[in-house]
Amino acid sequence: MKRLLFGLIGFLLAGVALGQAPGEKLPSVIMAPVGNVELRPGGSANLELDFRIGPEFHINSNKPRADYLIPTVLKLNPPEPVTVADVKYPAGEDMTFAFSPNEKLSVYSGDFSINTVLKAPASAAAGTYPVTGELRFQACDRSACYPPRSIPVQFQVKVVKK
Amino acid sequence: MKRNAVVFVMLAVVILAMLAAGKYLDRTRSHGPIKLVGDVRNVPAPDFELPTLDGRKVKLSDFRGQAVLLNFWATWCSPCKIEMPWFVDLQKQYGKDGLVVLGVAMDDTEAAKIAEFAHEMGVNYPVLLGTDQVSDDYGDVRSLPTTFYIDRNGNIMAKAVGLLGRQEIEDDVKKVLSTTYKSYLAQPSRAAAKVRSVLPKEATQ
Repeated sequence: MKRLLFGLIGFLLAGVALGQAPGEKLPSVIMAPVGNVELRPGGSANLELDFRIGPEFHINSNKPRADYLIPTVLKLNPPEPVTVADVKYPAGEDMTFAFSPNEKLSVYSGDFSINTVLKAPASAAAGTYPVTGELRFQACDRSACYPPRSIPVQFQVKVVKK
Repeated sequence: MKRNAVVFVMLAVVILAMLAAGKYLDRTRSHGPIKLVGDVRNVPAPDFELPTLDGRKVKLSDFRGQAVLLNFWATWCSPCKIEMPWFVDLQKQYGKDGLVVLGVAMDDTEAAKIAEFAHEMGVNYPVLLGTDQVSDDYGDVRSLPTTFYIDRNGNIMAKAVGLLGRQEIEDDVKKVLSTTYKSYLAQPSRAAAKVRSVLPKEATQ
Protein backbone atom coordinates (compact mmCIF):
# COMPACT_ATOMS: atom_id res chain seq x y z
CA MET A 1 0.00 0.00 0.00
CA LYS A 2 2.91 2.33 0.93
CA ARG A 3 4.61 1.66 -2.41
CA LEU A 4 1.33 2.13 -4.29
CA LEU A 5 0.71 5.51 -2.63
CA PHE A 6 4.35 6.51 -3.25
CA GLY A 7 4.01 5.52 -6.90
CA LEU A 8 0.71 7.35 -7.34
CA ILE A 9 2.08 10.58 -5.84
CA GLY A 10 5.19 10.24 -7.98
CA PHE A 11 3.10 9.73 -11.10
CA LEU A 12 1.03 12.78 -10.22
CA LEU A 13 4.20 14.87 -9.74
CA ALA A 14 5.50 13.66 -13.10
CA GLY A 15 2.29 14.89 -14.71
CA VAL A 16 2.62 18.26 -12.99
CA ALA A 17 6.27 18.53 -14.09
CA LEU A 18 5.35 17.78 -17.69
CA GLY A 19 2.59 20.35 -17.52
CA GLN A 20 4.96 23.14 -16.56
CA ALA A 21 6.21 25.49 -19.23
CA PRO A 22 9.92 25.59 -20.06
CA GLY A 23 11.95 27.36 -17.40
CA GLU A 24 9.12 27.06 -14.92
CA LYS A 25 9.55 23.45 -13.93
CA LEU A 26 10.59 22.94 -10.35
CA PRO A 27 12.37 20.02 -8.79
CA SER A 28 10.41 17.82 -6.44
CA VAL A 29 11.50 15.34 -3.84
CA ILE A 30 8.92 13.38 -1.87
CA MET A 31 9.22 10.99 1.01
CA ALA A 32 7.28 7.73 1.16
CA PRO A 33 4.99 7.38 4.15
CA VAL A 34 6.70 5.65 7.06
CA GLY A 35 4.95 2.66 8.61
CA ASN A 36 4.98 1.67 12.25
CA VAL A 37 8.35 1.98 13.93
CA GLU A 38 8.55 0.02 17.14
CA LEU A 39 11.32 0.15 19.68
CA ARG A 40 11.77 -1.83 22.85
CA PRO A 41 13.40 -0.10 25.84
CA GLY A 42 17.12 -0.78 25.58
CA GLY A 43 16.79 -1.81 21.97
CA SER A 44 17.30 -0.38 18.51
CA ALA A 45 15.43 -0.44 15.21
CA ASN A 46 16.54 0.05 11.63
CA LEU A 47 14.40 2.45 9.67
CA GLU A 48 14.70 2.96 5.94
CA LEU A 49 13.43 6.31 4.70
CA ASP A 50 12.50 6.20 1.03
CA PHE A 51 12.61 9.26 -1.22
CA ARG A 52 11.68 9.86 -4.84
CA ILE A 53 13.15 12.62 -6.98
CA GLY A 54 10.98 14.03 -9.74
CA PRO A 55 11.70 12.95 -13.31
CA GLU A 56 14.50 14.80 -15.13
CA PHE A 57 16.09 15.98 -11.88
CA HIS A 58 18.97 14.83 -9.73
CA ILE A 59 20.28 16.00 -6.38
CA ASN A 60 23.83 15.94 -5.02
CA SER A 61 24.65 12.85 -3.00
CA ASN A 62 25.70 13.15 0.64
CA LYS A 63 29.29 13.24 -0.59
CA PRO A 64 29.47 15.48 -3.63
CA ARG A 65 32.86 15.67 -5.31
CA ALA A 66 33.47 19.36 -4.77
CA ASP A 67 33.40 21.61 -1.71
CA TYR A 68 31.22 24.18 -3.43
CA LEU A 69 28.36 21.70 -3.98
CA ILE A 70 25.61 21.33 -1.41
CA PRO A 71 25.28 17.77 -0.06
CA THR A 72 22.01 16.02 0.65
CA VAL A 73 21.64 15.88 4.42
CA LEU A 74 19.00 14.29 6.63
CA LYS A 75 18.48 15.94 9.99
CA LEU A 76 16.30 14.19 12.55
CA ASN A 77 15.15 15.66 15.85
CA PRO A 78 13.83 12.80 17.96
CA PRO A 79 12.26 13.64 21.30
CA GLU A 80 13.76 12.09 24.41
CA PRO A 81 14.22 9.23 25.10
CA VAL A 82 14.54 8.26 21.41
CA THR A 83 17.94 8.85 19.80
CA VAL A 84 19.37 8.49 16.32
CA ALA A 85 22.37 6.17 16.54
CA ASP A 86 23.30 6.15 12.87
CA VAL A 87 22.40 7.58 9.47
CA LYS A 88 23.70 5.81 6.37
CA TYR A 89 23.43 7.47 2.99
CA PRO A 90 23.58 5.56 -0.27
CA ALA A 91 26.57 6.06 -2.56
CA GLY A 92 25.94 8.53 -5.34
CA GLU A 93 25.94 7.67 -9.01
CA ASP A 94 28.35 9.36 -11.40
CA MET A 95 26.96 11.98 -13.73
CA THR A 96 28.45 14.53 -16.10
CA PHE A 97 27.00 17.63 -17.69
CA ALA A 98 27.07 18.20 -21.41
CA PHE A 99 30.03 20.43 -22.40
CA SER A 100 32.05 19.16 -19.44
CA PRO A 101 32.36 15.38 -19.79
CA ASN A 102 35.48 15.18 -17.64
CA GLU A 103 33.92 16.66 -14.52
CA LYS A 104 32.05 13.94 -12.70
CA LEU A 105 29.34 14.67 -10.16
CA SER A 106 28.04 12.31 -7.47
CA VAL A 107 24.24 12.43 -7.48
CA TYR A 108 21.02 10.69 -6.57
CA SER A 109 18.21 10.38 -9.08
CA GLY A 110 14.93 8.47 -9.16
CA ASP A 111 14.41 6.60 -5.89
CA PHE A 112 16.90 6.45 -3.06
CA SER A 113 16.83 5.38 0.58
CA ILE A 114 18.56 6.59 3.70
CA ASN A 115 19.02 4.02 6.46
CA THR A 116 18.78 5.13 10.03
CA VAL A 117 19.17 3.37 13.35
CA LEU A 118 16.97 4.52 16.21
CA LYS A 119 17.55 3.65 19.84
CA ALA A 120 15.74 3.88 23.14
CA PRO A 121 17.41 3.46 26.56
CA ALA A 122 16.33 0.73 28.94
CA SER A 123 14.64 3.36 31.07
CA ALA A 124 12.45 4.59 28.20
CA ALA A 125 8.79 4.83 29.07
CA ALA A 126 6.30 3.19 26.75
CA GLY A 127 4.54 5.61 24.45
CA THR A 128 4.43 7.18 21.02
CA TYR A 129 7.14 9.70 20.16
CA PRO A 130 6.85 11.95 17.11
CA VAL A 131 10.14 12.42 15.24
CA THR A 132 10.51 15.47 13.04
CA GLY A 133 13.31 16.56 10.78
CA GLU A 134 14.15 17.61 7.29
CA LEU A 135 15.93 16.50 4.16
CA ARG A 136 18.00 19.30 2.68
CA PHE A 137 19.04 19.00 -0.93
CA GLN A 138 19.98 20.98 -3.99
CA ALA A 139 18.60 19.82 -7.30
CA CYS A 140 19.61 20.23 -10.93
CA ASP A 141 18.43 18.93 -14.26
CA ARG A 142 20.57 18.33 -17.35
CA SER A 143 21.23 22.02 -17.93
CA ALA A 144 20.24 24.10 -14.90
CA CYS A 145 20.31 24.07 -11.11
CA TYR A 146 17.78 25.22 -8.53
CA PRO A 147 18.21 26.82 -5.11
CA PRO A 148 18.71 24.49 -2.16
CA ARG A 149 15.59 23.59 -0.27
CA SER A 150 14.30 21.27 2.44
CA ILE A 151 11.34 18.99 2.79
CA PRO A 152 9.90 17.96 6.15
CA VAL A 153 10.45 14.45 7.48
CA GLN A 154 7.96 13.14 10.00
CA PHE A 155 7.21 9.78 11.53
CA GLN A 156 6.28 8.24 14.84
CA VAL A 157 8.23 5.85 16.99
CA LYS A 158 6.38 3.60 19.39
CA VAL A 159 8.27 2.43 22.44
CA VAL A 160 6.67 -0.78 23.59
CA LYS A 161 7.28 -2.81 26.74
CA LYS A 162 8.98 -6.19 26.40
CA MET B 1 -14.94 -0.71 -4.45
CA LYS B 2 -17.09 1.05 -7.11
CA ARG B 3 -16.23 4.41 -5.52
CA ASN B 4 -12.51 3.60 -5.68
CA ALA B 5 -12.81 2.82 -9.39
CA VAL B 6 -14.52 6.18 -10.05
CA VAL B 7 -11.81 8.03 -8.12
CA PHE B 8 -9.10 6.16 -10.01
CA VAL B 9 -10.67 6.98 -13.40
CA MET B 10 -11.05 10.65 -12.45
CA LEU B 11 -7.44 10.75 -11.32
CA ALA B 12 -6.31 9.16 -14.58
CA VAL B 13 -8.30 11.73 -16.57
CA VAL B 14 -6.74 14.61 -14.61
CA ILE B 15 -3.24 13.21 -15.14
CA LEU B 16 -3.83 12.71 -18.86
CA ALA B 17 -5.16 16.27 -19.14
CA MET B 18 -2.02 17.58 -17.41
CA LEU B 19 0.21 15.53 -19.70
CA ALA B 20 -1.60 16.89 -22.76
CA ALA B 21 -1.33 20.46 -21.47
CA GLY B 22 2.35 19.92 -20.72
CA LYS B 23 3.04 18.68 -24.24
CA TYR B 24 1.15 21.64 -25.69
CA LEU B 25 3.06 24.17 -23.58
CA ASP B 26 6.42 22.55 -24.02
CA ARG B 27 7.08 21.73 -27.63
CA THR B 28 10.79 22.33 -27.29
CA ARG B 29 11.49 20.16 -24.26
CA SER B 30 13.21 17.42 -26.26
CA HIS B 31 15.68 19.88 -27.75
CA GLY B 32 17.73 20.23 -24.56
CA PRO B 33 18.45 23.51 -22.81
CA ILE B 34 15.72 26.09 -22.79
CA LYS B 35 16.23 29.36 -24.57
CA LEU B 36 13.47 31.88 -24.37
CA VAL B 37 13.83 34.73 -26.79
CA GLY B 38 10.40 35.86 -27.83
CA ASP B 39 9.06 36.59 -24.37
CA VAL B 40 11.61 39.22 -23.47
CA ARG B 41 12.91 40.58 -26.78
CA ASN B 42 13.02 44.39 -26.87
CA VAL B 43 11.81 44.67 -23.31
CA PRO B 44 13.85 47.27 -21.36
CA ALA B 45 16.10 45.49 -18.90
CA PRO B 46 15.00 46.38 -15.36
CA ASP B 47 17.53 48.68 -13.81
CA PHE B 48 19.19 47.79 -10.54
CA GLU B 49 21.90 48.89 -8.20
CA LEU B 50 23.84 46.07 -6.61
CA PRO B 51 27.01 45.84 -4.53
CA THR B 52 30.12 44.29 -6.01
CA LEU B 53 32.19 41.79 -4.08
CA ASP B 54 34.43 44.59 -2.86
CA GLY B 55 31.57 46.75 -1.68
CA ARG B 56 31.19 49.18 -4.59
CA LYS B 57 27.78 49.83 -6.12
CA VAL B 58 27.01 49.17 -9.75
CA LYS B 59 23.91 50.28 -11.64
CA LEU B 60 22.91 48.51 -14.82
CA SER B 61 21.95 51.81 -16.43
CA ASP B 62 25.54 53.00 -16.01
CA PHE B 63 26.43 50.66 -18.87
CA ARG B 64 24.14 52.31 -21.42
CA GLY B 65 25.99 52.38 -24.72
CA GLN B 66 27.64 49.05 -24.03
CA ALA B 67 26.43 45.52 -24.65
CA VAL B 68 25.79 43.63 -21.41
CA LEU B 69 25.83 39.92 -20.75
CA LEU B 70 23.98 39.63 -17.45
CA ASN B 71 24.55 36.20 -15.94
CA PHE B 72 22.68 34.95 -12.87
CA TRP B 73 24.70 32.19 -11.21
CA ALA B 74 25.61 30.59 -7.87
CA THR B 75 28.63 28.79 -6.47
CA TRP B 76 26.59 25.60 -5.98
CA CYS B 77 25.58 25.55 -9.65
CA SER B 78 27.75 23.15 -11.67
CA PRO B 79 26.57 24.27 -15.13
CA CYS B 80 27.30 27.88 -14.12
CA LYS B 81 30.87 26.84 -13.39
CA ILE B 82 31.18 25.38 -16.88
CA GLU B 83 30.15 28.69 -18.46
CA MET B 84 32.39 30.96 -16.40
CA PRO B 85 35.66 30.35 -18.29
CA TRP B 86 33.76 31.09 -21.51
CA PHE B 87 32.57 34.41 -20.10
CA VAL B 88 36.15 35.20 -19.06
CA ASP B 89 37.31 34.57 -22.64
CA LEU B 90 34.43 36.54 -24.14
CA GLN B 91 35.14 39.49 -21.86
CA LYS B 92 38.79 39.42 -22.95
CA GLN B 93 37.92 39.04 -26.62
CA TYR B 94 35.05 41.52 -26.90
CA GLY B 95 35.68 43.94 -24.03
CA LYS B 96 37.37 46.36 -26.44
CA ASP B 97 34.22 46.26 -28.60
CA GLY B 98 32.01 47.29 -25.71
CA LEU B 99 31.02 44.00 -24.08
CA VAL B 100 30.47 44.04 -20.34
CA VAL B 101 29.91 40.74 -18.58
CA LEU B 102 28.15 41.10 -15.24
CA GLY B 103 27.78 38.13 -12.93
CA VAL B 104 24.97 38.24 -10.39
CA ALA B 105 25.66 35.75 -7.61
CA MET B 106 22.46 34.34 -6.14
CA ASP B 107 24.18 32.54 -3.28
CA ASP B 108 22.79 32.79 0.20
CA THR B 109 26.27 32.95 1.65
CA GLU B 110 28.88 35.52 2.62
CA ALA B 111 30.59 37.59 -0.04
CA ALA B 112 34.05 36.29 0.92
CA LYS B 113 33.16 32.75 -0.15
CA ILE B 114 31.75 33.98 -3.45
CA ALA B 115 34.89 36.07 -3.97
CA GLU B 116 37.11 33.08 -3.28
CA PHE B 117 35.19 30.99 -5.80
CA ALA B 118 35.28 33.74 -8.43
CA HIS B 119 39.02 34.16 -7.86
CA GLU B 120 39.59 30.42 -8.31
CA MET B 121 37.63 30.57 -11.56
CA GLY B 122 39.77 33.46 -12.80
CA VAL B 123 36.77 35.74 -13.20
CA ASN B 124 37.79 39.02 -14.85
CA TYR B 125 34.40 40.73 -14.77
CA PRO B 126 32.37 42.34 -11.96
CA VAL B 127 30.48 39.95 -9.72
CA LEU B 128 27.47 41.51 -8.04
CA LEU B 129 25.62 40.23 -5.01
CA GLY B 130 22.10 39.38 -6.14
CA THR B 131 18.92 40.02 -4.21
CA ASP B 132 15.41 38.60 -4.29
CA GLN B 133 14.22 41.93 -5.67
CA VAL B 134 16.48 41.70 -8.71
CA SER B 135 15.48 38.07 -9.21
CA ASP B 136 11.81 39.11 -9.13
CA ASP B 137 12.43 42.01 -11.50
CA TYR B 138 13.93 39.61 -14.02
CA GLY B 139 10.98 37.23 -13.88
CA ASP B 140 11.73 35.26 -10.71
CA VAL B 141 15.05 33.74 -11.67
CA ARG B 142 14.98 30.27 -10.16
CA SER B 143 16.88 28.23 -12.72
CA LEU B 144 20.61 28.87 -12.84
CA PRO B 145 22.38 29.77 -14.97
CA THR B 146 20.03 32.33 -16.52
CA THR B 147 21.60 34.85 -18.85
CA PHE B 148 20.18 38.01 -20.37
CA TYR B 149 21.76 39.65 -23.39
CA ILE B 150 21.16 43.39 -23.19
CA ASP B 151 21.82 45.67 -26.15
CA ARG B 152 23.56 49.04 -26.09
CA ASN B 153 20.21 50.79 -25.51
CA GLY B 154 19.37 48.77 -22.42
CA ASN B 155 16.88 46.43 -24.08
CA ILE B 156 16.91 42.67 -23.62
CA MET B 157 17.67 40.93 -26.91
CA ALA B 158 17.72 37.37 -25.64
CA LYS B 159 17.34 35.25 -22.54
CA ALA B 160 18.92 31.84 -22.03
CA VAL B 161 17.88 29.50 -19.24
CA GLY B 162 20.27 26.66 -18.50
CA LEU B 163 23.62 25.72 -19.92
CA LEU B 164 24.06 26.38 -23.61
CA GLY B 165 27.04 25.76 -25.85
CA ARG B 166 29.81 28.31 -26.05
CA GLN B 167 29.09 29.04 -29.69
CA GLU B 168 25.44 29.89 -28.94
CA ILE B 169 26.57 32.26 -26.20
CA GLU B 170 29.08 33.91 -28.50
CA ASP B 171 26.44 34.28 -31.21
CA ASP B 172 24.20 36.17 -28.79
CA VAL B 173 27.14 38.31 -27.67
CA LYS B 174 27.79 39.27 -31.29
CA LYS B 175 24.12 40.17 -31.72
CA VAL B 176 24.09 42.58 -28.80
CA LEU B 177 27.42 44.05 -29.85
CA SER B 178 26.06 44.74 -33.33
CA THR B 179 23.40 47.11 -31.99
CA THR B 180 23.80 50.86 -32.29
CA TYR B 181 23.55 53.15 -29.34
CA LYS B 182 20.70 55.55 -30.03
CA SER B 183 21.17 58.48 -27.77
CA TYR B 184 21.49 62.21 -27.98
CA LEU B 185 24.71 61.61 -26.11
CA ALA B 186 27.25 60.66 -28.73
CA GLN B 187 29.92 59.98 -26.13
CA PRO B 188 29.61 57.54 -23.25
CA SER B 189 28.34 59.26 -20.13
CA ARG B 190 30.46 60.27 -17.18
CA ALA B 191 28.71 57.51 -15.25
CA ALA B 192 29.84 54.97 -17.84
CA ALA B 193 33.38 56.18 -17.49
CA LYS B 194 33.05 55.75 -13.75
CA VAL B 195 31.76 52.22 -14.29
CA ARG B 196 34.66 51.34 -16.53
CA SER B 197 36.88 52.07 -13.58
CA VAL B 198 35.13 49.21 -11.77
CA LEU B 199 36.08 46.76 -14.49
CA PRO B 200 39.46 45.08 -14.23
CA LYS B 201 41.89 46.48 -16.80
CA GLU B 202 42.29 43.23 -18.70
CA ALA B 203 38.51 43.06 -19.18
CA THR B 204 38.43 46.15 -21.38
CA GLN B 205 41.62 45.58 -23.34
